[in-house]
Parts: sequence; C-alpha cells; structure tokens
Amino acid sequence: MTDQAPSELQTPDGGGRRDPLSMLFQPGAWRIEKRLIVRPWHEILALIAALAAAVAIIAGLVLFIGKSPADSFAALYNGAFGTRESTLETLVQATPLILTGLAAAIAFRAGVWNIGGEGQFFAGVMGTWFVYDLWGGLPAPLLFVLMFIFAAIAGAAWASVASGLLVRYGTNEILTTVMLNFVILYILSYLLAGPWQSPDTFYYQTVRMADTTYLPRFVTGSRLHWGFAIALIAALVVYWLIRRTTLGYEIRGIGSNVVASRYKGIRVGTVTLATMAISGALAGIAGAGELLGLHHRVQLDIAEGIGFTGIIIALVARLHPLGVIVAAILFGALVNGSTAMQYETGIPKALVFVIEGTTLALVLIAAMVSRYRIRKAG
Amino acid sequence: MEDLFTSAVLVGIFWATLRIATPLLLAALGELVCESSGILNLSLEGTMTMGAFAGFYVANETGSILAGLVAAGVGGAFLSLIMALMTVTAKVNQVVAGLALNILGLGLAFFWYRSIYEAEGSIDIPTVETMQAPFEFFPIPWLTILAFVMVPVVWVFLYRTKYGLELRSVGHNPEACDMRGVGIISRQYVAVVFGGVMAGLAGSFLSLGSTGLFFPDIISGRGWIALAIVIFGNWRATWVLVGSLLFGFLEATQLALQASDVDLPYQLLLALPFVLTIVALVFNRSRSNVPLSLTIPYHRGER
Amino acid sequence: MTETILAVDRVTKRFPGVVANDAVSVDIRRGEIHCLLGENGAGKTTLADILYGVYRPDEGSVTFRGETLELHTPRDAIAAGIGMVHQHFELVPPMSVVENVVIGTSASQWLDLSEVKDRLNEFFHNYDVEIDPDAEVGRLSVGEQQWVEIFKTLYFGVEVLILDEPTAVLTPQGVEELFRILRRMRDEGLTIILITHKLKEVMELSDRVTVLRLGKVVGTVDTADVEMRDLAQMMVGREVLFQFDKERSRPGEVVLEVDGIHLASVTGRGSLKGLSLTVHAGEVVGLAGVSGNGQNALFDALVGVEKPSAGAIRIGGVDIAEMSANRIGQLGMASVPADRIAQGLLMDFKVKENLVLGRHRSNPFSRAGVLNRGAIDGFAAESIEGFDIRTPSASQLTRTLSGGNLQKVIMARELSGEPRLLVAHQPTRGLDISASEYVRRRLLEERERGSAVLLMSEDLDEIFQLSDRIAVIYDGRIVSETTPEEADLQSLGLSMAGADTVEAGSAA
Repeated sequence: MTDQAPSELQTPDGGGRRDPLSMLFQPGAWRIEKRLIVRPWHEILALIAALAAAVAIIAGLVLFIGKSPADSFAALYNGAFGTRESTLETLVQATPLILTGLAAAIAFRAGVWNIGGEGQFFAGVMGTWFVYDLWGGLPAPLLFVLMFIFAAIAGAAWASVASGLLVRYGTNEILTTVMLNFVILYILSYLLAGPWQSPDTFYYQTVRMADTTYLPRFVTGSRLHWGFAIALIAALVVYWLIRRTTLGYEIRGIGSNVVASRYKGIRVGTVTLATMAISGALAGIAGAGELLGLHHRVQLDIAEGIGFTGIIIALVARLHPLGVIVAAILFGALVNGSTAMQYETGIPKALVFVIEGTTLALVLIAAMVSRYRIRKAG
Repeated sequence: MEDLFTSAVLVGIFWATLRIATPLLLAALGELVCESSGILNLSLEGTMTMGAFAGFYVANETGSILAGLVAAGVGGAFLSLIMALMTVTAKVNQVVAGLALNILGLGLAFFWYRSIYEAEGSIDIPTVETMQAPFEFFPIPWLTILAFVMVPVVWVFLYRTKYGLELRSVGHNPEACDMRGVGIISRQYVAVVFGGVMAGLAGSFLSLGSTGLFFPDIISGRGWIALAIVIFGNWRATWVLVGSLLFGFLEATQLALQASDVDLPYQLLLALPFVLTIVALVFNRSRSNVPLSLTIPYHRGER
Repeated sequence: MTETILAVDRVTKRFPGVVANDAVSVDIRRGEIHCLLGENGAGKTTLADILYGVYRPDEGSVTFRGETLELHTPRDAIAAGIGMVHQHFELVPPMSVVENVVIGTSASQWLDLSEVKDRLNEFFHNYDVEIDPDAEVGRLSVGEQQWVEIFKTLYFGVEVLILDEPTAVLTPQGVEELFRILRRMRDEGLTIILITHKLKEVMELSDRVTVLRLGKVVGTVDTADVEMRDLAQMMVGREVLFQFDKERSRPGEVVLEVDGIHLASVTGRGSLKGLSLTVHAGEVVGLAGVSGNGQNALFDALVGVEKPSAGAIRIGGVDIAEMSANRIGQLGMASVPADRIAQGLLMDFKVKENLVLGRHRSNPFSRAGVLNRGAIDGFAAESIEGFDIRTPSASQLTRTLSGGNLQKVIMARELSGEPRLLVAHQPTRGLDISASEYVRRRLLEERERGSAVLLMSEDLDEIFQLSDRIAVIYDGRIVSETTPEEADLQSLGLSMAGADTVEAGSAA
C-alpha cells in the first residue's frame, strides 16, 4: 500500500484518472475526470438535460406514428392538471404510488433490493379482504383500523418471506421478490376463481364491499379519498424514521457499508428483516387504500403495475421520502393524463411505460455523467 | 388419473418439454454469456417482449418467419445496446438499469402493438403462421433445435476460445484484463448484446414458434425464470441446459394435468415453477462459479 | 555497462489536489537493479505506473532505448519491453496459472495451452520455483502468486521489470529467495526497477538507488557509496528516530485471554488452529506475522463477528462466546480494523455520524430509539478538536476525507470511550509518516492510560517500536513469543516462516 496520497484525496468509488468514458473521445485530446465534489447545480442541470432528452425522444416516437407531439403533450397535460377535477384525479393516481415509492425507497436505502412491491400490494389487498370477509359487521372505525393493520401485516409477511430467506440463506432478494410476485398473483387468481368468487359472476372477482367500508372522500365530485392523507403522513413518518431514529441510522448504515456496520455491532439480519417488514407494510397499506378508496372489490387487475412504478418513483426521487411525493404526483399525472390523451388523440396509454422507462434511463445516466467533467488534456 | 400415464400423454409431455424449454434455454444461454462478462442484465422480460413483438410484426408484414426472427434479434440487440451504454459506459447500477429497461421494453412493445393494431378501432388481432417442424417424425420447430445447438456452441466459445477465456476473465477481474490490454468495454458490449439477441429470439419463439400471436402478457415471467436458471445452473452452460429442461418439464406436466380431468387447481400449478425457483435459489448457495465482479462497475485507475 | 536504457526526463504528473511527480528525472542503466526509495506518498508507484503506461505524464518525456516512449496502455509498455508487477496482483483467481498467462496474448483464438505450459515449466525449472501450471491461481500462496506475476511478465520477453514492494508479502526466507533469483536475472541481462520503502532491501540488493520525497527526486546514488543512515535522511528529510521513547511497561491484570481457539475461514487459508494469547492491562502485545496466517480470523473472533468453533475468549474474565459484537463493545473493547474504508467507516455518512457508529444506540446519543442530535453534534465537535481531524465541518461527507483523517475518525471513535482493550490491525497501513507517528503515539498513550493493546502488524519496525512483548502468528497459532529487547530479526523471521513449530502451543 504505497503511494496512497493521490487516490485517497479522491472518492473511494472512483479514481478519476482515465475513465473508460474517455474512450468515446480521441485519446489524449480530451480527458474525463471524476469530480471531487458534485455540486447540486451540476445534478440539476443534468436532470433537466435528461428530462429534455426524454421529452424529445417521446415526441419523436409520437411523430413516428403520425401524431402531433404538441397536441399529445397538451392532451396529456390537460388530462393531468387541466381542470380542478383532473388535478384532484392526478392526486388519486399518485396516492398508491407514494406508498409503493416509499416502500421501495426505504428498502433500497438499506441496500435491500425489494422488487416485490407489486406482490406485497396484492398481499395488502388480500389482508384487507380477509378482515372484511371475516368481521365485516364490526363498527366502521374499528373495521377500518383492523383492515389497515391486516393489510400492513400481510404486506410485511409476504416481504418477510424474501427477507427471511435472504437473512437465513443469503438467497438473492431480487429474484425471490420477483418470483413471489408471480406466486401471490396465482394464489389470488385461485382464490378469486373459487373461495372468494362472487356468486353472481363468471369474472374473477369478489362481491362489492358494503358502502360503510368506503374510505371517506375529501370533496364531492372527486375520487380523492383519505388514502392520500395516509400516504402523505406515511412519507413524513418514513422521513423521520430514516433521519432521526436509530433504526433509520442502521438502515442507512447497512445500505452504505454492510461489513463496517457488522463490525460495529449493527445486527444486519435484524435490520434487514425490519426494513423489509416496513417496506412490505407500506406496499400493503397501498393495497388497502386502493381497495377501500377506489375499487371496493378484489380483482386481478387491481395493482396495474403500481408496485413496479413505485420502484421507478423511488429511484427518480433519489430514495428521498419527500422527493417520493413529488415523483409520485408526476407519475400519477402521467397515468391520469395518458387516459385523456388516448381518448383525445388515439395514442395508446402504454406510452406511459415508454415515458417511464426512457425518463428513468436518462435520469440515471445523467446522474452518473454529472459526476464527471470533461477537460482539455494539458 | 391413470389416463395421465398413457404413452401418448407422456410422449406429448416430452415434446412439450422441449418446446417450453426453448425460450428459457435461449434467453438463459444469452444471459450466461452476459453475466460471464460481469454484467447482470435484469431486463430479460422486457427484452423478450420486444423480441416477441418485433418478430411478430415483421413476420406479419413480410410473411416471412425468417425476417421475423432477424427483427426479433435486432429488437433484442437494440434494448441490450442501451443496457450496455448505461452499465458499461455510464456505469449506472446494473440492477436499476435492468429494471428501467424492463419497463422500457414492455412499454415499447405494448405501445407499438396498440398503435398499429388497435388504433384503427379494430380489435381484430392478426395471427401469423407458426414455425414449421423440419421433420415429420420430429415435431419440434427448428428454433428449438437451434436452441439446443447453442449449448455446445456457447460452451466452446466460453471455455475453448481465447476470446471466451478473456471474456470470463473480465467478469472476474476487469482490472487485470485492462492491464493486459484486453478490451473490457468491447467484450462487455459484445456479451450484453449477444444476451440481448438471444433474449429477442427467445421472445420471438413465443409469438412465432408456438402461438402465432402477440399479446402484451406473452412472456409472463419467463424472462425472470431464465435469470433464475442461470443461477440454478451455477453459471455453467451444461447446467443451464438441465435447468431449462427441468422448468420445461414442470410446465409441460402442469399443462397435461390441466388437460386431463384430474381436479387440481391449475393456478397453484402455474405458481409451482416460481416456487421451485425460490427453492433452487435456497439450495444452490455455493455459487462457486459466480463471476467475481458481477454487478461491480469497473473504473479504470481505481486501485 | 553504463548504457542508459530508460531515461525519465522532467516528468510531472498531477492528480486533483496533489502533484504526485514533480519534474522527476531518472536514468536507468541496462542490466542494473535500481531501487526507487521513498515514504508512502513519495510518488514511486506513480512514476512506475507512468513507465508502465497506466498514466500519461502531464509534462516531460520518457526515452526508452533512445526513442521517445508513447504509451497509452500497459499493453503498449509490454510490447515495448517494459513489464510491471503491482502490489495488487493482476491475476484472475478462479483460473489456472497457464490461463492467466494466456490472457491478453496474441495466441490463436483456439485455445492450445500445451505450448504455453511447456515454456512456463521451463521457466519454473530454470529458476527452481515449484509451481504447477495447471493449479488454480486463487489456491496458490501469495508468494507463489507473485512468482506467477513475475513469470507472466517475463513470458512476454520484457527487458525492464518493475516490481512494486515485492517483499511485502514474503517471509524473510522468501525475500532471500526472491533476491537470489533477481540477482541472477540481472546477471542474465534483465534490468530491474524495485520500488520499496525498506532501507535494508536497498542496501542488500540494489546497484543504484533514486530517492523520492513528496513527488520530487532527492537524488540518485550508487548504493556502494552510501550508508543506510544517509538514505534514511534523504528519504525523510530529517534525522530519523528509530525508537520511540517509552517507559517500561507495568503490566496489570489480564484483560484479554484467548484460549486455544479454532476458527475455519471461508477460503480455508488463514484459519485459526488453537491460538492462545494473553494481553495485560498497560502493555502492548505486538502480533507479528506474514499476512494470511490467521490475523483476519483472530480480529473477527475478537470483535465478535465470527464465533470460534472451539476454545474461549475472555475479556476481563468474561467469556464472550455468546455475545454480539455490540455487547463485546460494551465490555470495553475497541477495535481498529485493517481496512478503514471497507471495515471501519460508512463513507456515505457524515463525519459526525461515523463518530458515534457502534454507540449510536446508547445514552446520550439516542433515547428510546430516537437519535439525540445535540449530543452527537457536541461529541463530534469535541472529537474533531481532540483528535485534530481535518474536515471543513462535522457534517462533511466522510468520503471526502484523506486517509490519515479517516484513520483519525476511527481512532477518535474507538478511543473516546476509554476502552480497557484495544485491538489494532495494521493501524498505520497506507498512512504517511506524520499520520503514522500520530497513530503510534496514540497507541502508546492508551498503554500509559492502563489499557491493554493488541497490535497486529506486518510492519516489523512498528512491532519493535511499540511492543512490550512480541508474539509470532503462523498458520493459525502463536509459534513463539519474545520481547523487543531479546528478539533478533533472524529468529523472528524463521518463526514467521514457520521454521520452528517446536514452541507451538506453549506460547502465551
């Protein structure tokens, strides 16, 4: 270990001397260096550039299928924020995304790759229905509390299958959480085809729940329900948890360096289990909110990719709990606006996935590129 | 129950196993090469969907299955090229990049499909002719034969050529290779794009090889199973073959059970491969052959 | 014999914040062993990396065999005839020796290893080195891996061989073997550049030596014309104190008692096989040994992240077998790990957060699971002051600190609780001379305070300077024990090489 001085002045995750990125340029003429300090405006600039590039690519795609990008974006925007009703509806769409976004963010903070938000969302839906099915006659306040608690427990339990295997056997949680998404979907499809199926239909769905279980709405004429408030509170709680509590400290600790955490007495297994339980619970609560706030009956298409979108939201928000709120509203607007866009311009709603994928890819690249600077070689 | 064990059913299961294993094997072999170079490509699901759609679209337009296959390979290559750009050049976290491209691949395929076939208000979904079996006594499409031929090809490439040796070395210790002048970036690009082409072909087998259709949910988890098979196979081409056949066999048996009058909840059988993958993951922990630098981006000059 | 083969002319290389080489000029003659001597951070490795094509100089030029050298990659250097063996070996552990040699060569695409194998065997035979070309490199000893690296380079027919601190991984006997073979290679016409900070090696091996300090050349001299003391002064820029002034220790009661522990390591190398050791209050016990003989396993067992399969560890008479790392810390054990960045710090955390790592759950830093930010801020300010940690603020991200300051953060964290036992593993590795001195002084202060100190180090000078007793670890056991006054280097080296296992088990 000689001659450490140069590298130790640098960040340990990059030497910053001759990066392979420099391959893109003529050798010797230009040089790409890693920045010692990444200033916020570098990142913001890169983010803006990424978003602009994403818009350009999407516009190109829309042009390619023979539609007007301007009209499409206008339709998208109007559909999302054009009127008071549409704005409120955007918040409706954002509600579950905030929760699944938080679920992903807290897990990723610990370095645990929970890709199972979708499955844990289903677990939450099933937990809610389970309570309703069993104790539907209870007085409303108690029933609500029970339904949300069981949704959280169910989500946490389903997530804990993956984290339990991870802690006990070191099984890769990315793959197990993904597999568990499929497993629970088939379990639910079995239940909806049999025990839980509504007797008056051939569809895979339950009966409609009683009016008393509908989450109250904020304003008449909008579907915005109390779930939104729950989501906002959850974001604040997660923020507080991560920044101000010892558990949050340890979550960030194992995410930053699991070896050093272990050497300094942090129980990595316990923290992993706790993190995944919280993560799964948040996704489960999202499921309860959607069931009680919007759908009122269990169906197979109740999740609509909300769990997966939560992952993107968490990443775009840089795993910041309050940033998740902003990102979720943005993505809620996309979902909401795209319906109007499809109706008005005939552009398929699936464009949203393209927008999501393109934006995330470009934002990720921008985040990396902003850590470098190009210099004329001396 | 006994009609499940007639020879006709068993023979049917045998051929079905080979057919079902085909896309898994193609995708898993591609991913094996990709991961051997140190890049974990999680976007197989999206890449296969791209391949399935591109193959279907071009085959439908041109009437040529071969053109469809080429298009499927190009579609897979396109997405994996973005993957390589993100992970090899820009050094984005591989897990995150894979997830982003999964959504992008799915989105592009859905979007194109809907804008082409549903925009005119017709819900009239076209079908294309499916791949023919080359021999009458051998009722499997030739893409299946190709998939099985690829097993020794990949094996020879990885273990009997210098390029393959260097590619695996890059996956273990890129710095050592860099010092020796082995082009890391080019090898990783080659590996990632090869994986993408294979995934594209794998996807097209589902649209062109078996159903003659495209629908958004066509891959339904097979990309993730292919990823699991690579781990199950401990990064060995031969064991990847075994894993693919095992998963194919399970699915084939499940289908036979559904067709028979045996009263078993088929949804739970559908869940079985996924449960089995988890079980395999638990029991295959030695990981002796895992590329040592898998998912770790290489920065030159960092020591 | 005085023909210049390689001429470095006013080469300057800057890294952000540091001039690693400042107008460095050196002439290397054909067929000589030329040492580059300097402290850590003097710029030796940077200079060698420029010769090997890893870096390009910002200014100045390099001439090789009369022609200006234009290197873009190490491959260019090898093609030109310059090879280098880094401290971090450039090997692919899961592959065989032959495969490692073939990587990057212009051999045909269809792998035919037999020819390569024959040539390797010839090399090995010629120099009396026993290595199986088909062996998996990851299973070879570190010394053997170094031979693979050297022969890999020679395989390409280089004329100049650069070795970066090659003796760091060797026993004294291994060093002798290396030097014997290097001299023979020189006599056969090879030019060898040896990077080192060990004066004895320079005196023993080199024909000429160039001393570097803070990126500048202090001078180039014929080794025969100088004394060790002169070189030391050139290297450090002042008279060197080879001894700390320290009082004789007054050992108190037994604090650490390690009793015949066994612990299998994952790789199979460096397992503990019945290690016993005691450390008393108020003494420093130096654990000498070549790396890979169980130091890591011992550290892990003491910290509590691994549990021995047999034997017992007692701290202050309390058996820690069932205790978590956290509980062991509460017994008054502090630890300084060998790899600061990988094992000791959360680089994404603020400095103040790292200062309470491990104690973040206890009063006053948290109450009922909620962090007490006032207490943490106060403690951080105190530590930064008390340990002279150079950081713009307590809220600075830890990753922006320099190596010496990172180690100070760890020292501040570990020592602030006034531990009764301190286990330090390679505490000065990679630090510059002033930071090293600071760390060593702190360790002695702990001893004065009455703490028991276990110092695990591969630096024998450090062991001699600081220890009251010296124990030698070899193959997972303590094989001999002595004091700095009684020890002589020869017998210590033999113990480290496992030559005298007679005393095994009777030690401590």
